[in-house]
Amino acid sequence: MRFSVKPFILSLLVLLVLFPFAYLGLLSLAGDWRFPDVWPAYIGLRNWYAVLSAETSLWQSFLLSVLISVSVATAATFSGFFISRLVYYHPKQHLLTLLSYFPYILAPVVFAACLSFFFLKLGLFGKSGGVVVAQFMVAFPYALIFFGSFWGSKTQQLEKLVATLGGNLWHTFQRVLLPMARGMLLVCFFQTFLISWFEYGLTSIIGVGKVQTLTIKVFLFIKEANFYYGALSCVLLILPPVALLYINKRYVFNKLV
Amino acid sequence: MRTKSPHIGILFFLAIGVLPFAAAFVYALLYSFGAVGVLNTSYTTAFWAAVFRSGEFFKSLGYSAAIAAVSVAVSVGLALWLVLSYRRDFEKKALSFVLYLPLAIPGVVAAFFTFQLLAQSGFFARITYALGGIDKARQFPDLVNDPWAVGILLTFISLVTPFFVLLFMNVYKNERLGELKTLAVSLGATPRQVRWRVSIPILLTKTRTLIVLYFIFILGAYEVPLILGQQSPQMLSVLIIREMRQFDLAKIPEGYAVAVLYTFIVSGAAVLLFYRKKKTADAF
Repeated sequence: MRFSVKPFILSLLVLLVLFPFAYLGLLSLAGDWRFPDVWPAYIGLRNWYAVLSAETSLWQSFLLSVLISVSVATAATFSGFFISRLVYYHPKQHLLTLLSYFPYILAPVVFAACLSFFFLKLGLFGKSGGVVVAQFMVAFPYALIFFGSFWGSKTQQLEKLVATLGGNLWHTFQRVLLPMARGMLLVCFFQTFLISWFEYGLTSIIGVGKVQTLTIKVFLFIKEANFYYGALSCVLLILPPVALLYINKRYVFNKLV
Repeated sequence: MRTKSPHIGILFFLAIGVLPFAAAFVYALLYSFGAVGVLNTSYTTAFWAAVFRSGEFFKSLGYSAAIAAVSVAVSVGLALWLVLSYRRDFEKKALSFVLYLPLAIPGVVAAFFTFQLLAQSGFFARITYALGGIDKARQFPDLVNDPWAVGILLTFISLVTPFFVLLFMNVYKNERLGELKTLAVSLGATPRQVRWRVSIPILLTKTRTLIVLYFIFILGAYEVPLILGQQSPQMLSVLIIREMRQFDLAKIPEGYAVAVLYTFIVSGAAVLLFYRKKKTADAF
């Protein structure tokens, strides 16, 4: 009988993928877990009760993160969709597309640091609104590039057909373009939601520590060496993307290549 | 009205897509030459000279580029091996979802997790202690905040590899690589030739833009090196933010000079990447 390493490698791979989730979950339930103990002395819901307490305000951070990410994703997806049509149909399409690559490719934290003067002058420094605006500046170019593939010759021909049949621009969007792009809009919403949800550097610069999203909380707990609450924040940070990925799985990578 | 709305749209695009980048760049440039900013009184090239003299930027650039190159090369290599060896298994329902799970882990969580595992009082150190490998935490090798960036590399590799696995799986399907392989075999190619002359070149050619983009993203990564990196050399973004937010106000312009240099490099890469992509698209 021939020996096959395949089952071992695949099992190892599944273990490697699931291990961070299991470990962080365990750490969030743990207490008094000191070196050299391999297993924590306490396992229970003590840390999770803290989520609801005013002491850590994690619950507020979770809600704030959801609010910021939903705002950024909604604004970036819809503005990206409508503006990308103008950009990709424009005679200077290549130049405009190239310009949209710059903020997308630059490290958000460096971008935010260079922009912080303007945010200060506009009174957006240390405010949730400022963080939404700053994250939107990063998410919008992504959405713009993302929708680029939608505005091909096929879409243009369909638009011409609608016009020939007497439809105006409103009809074109309402009856043809938006239904056609429904899947892509959903994917773009999820992706821009994740861009915002995972963002740390830019949020820390523009929020100046006052806008405490979950990623900021994770860092605060790391600095305080409170690894149990840190792990708990990590679990809260991971759960929504896992749910989104489950819904989104079929679409995500078909649109990337 | 029909002629006005596209102009408004393009203006909106310029206002939110281009103006902030341009404003940030010009402000950083002016700050680096002493034209604006706290304590700056007149135009000077002293800050730029200081940046070039200290050499910290180039050290940091080399360090970041090496980390990005190793992370991307190892991730791409691993992903190619996994896809070409186990693609059929990955397509099965249960495994296919498991493959997507790592995408839900952001950099900050991955870095925190690596720290928990690899630190001298981390999970691996505890297991080594339980097995009798060490007597004290200090005896465990320093794998985080270390000079060889082991923790940073492992974190980036674990973050990027799943993305490339999914990407290559998709390209494999879209490019109908299975059929091309059958054709190559029917023409007398060996499995080794099929792998090296058909599968790998197609997968790499079709994804090279994204591979370069990932290199650039890692070059500018912030959270992971902030948690797992050492004091010197630091990765580019960490160095820039450290310089810009230091207590010595007289040195802040040097931070802006480094930010300008970094923006130049990344923008240059974006231009090259974009025109290469356009050239390829035009050829078809």
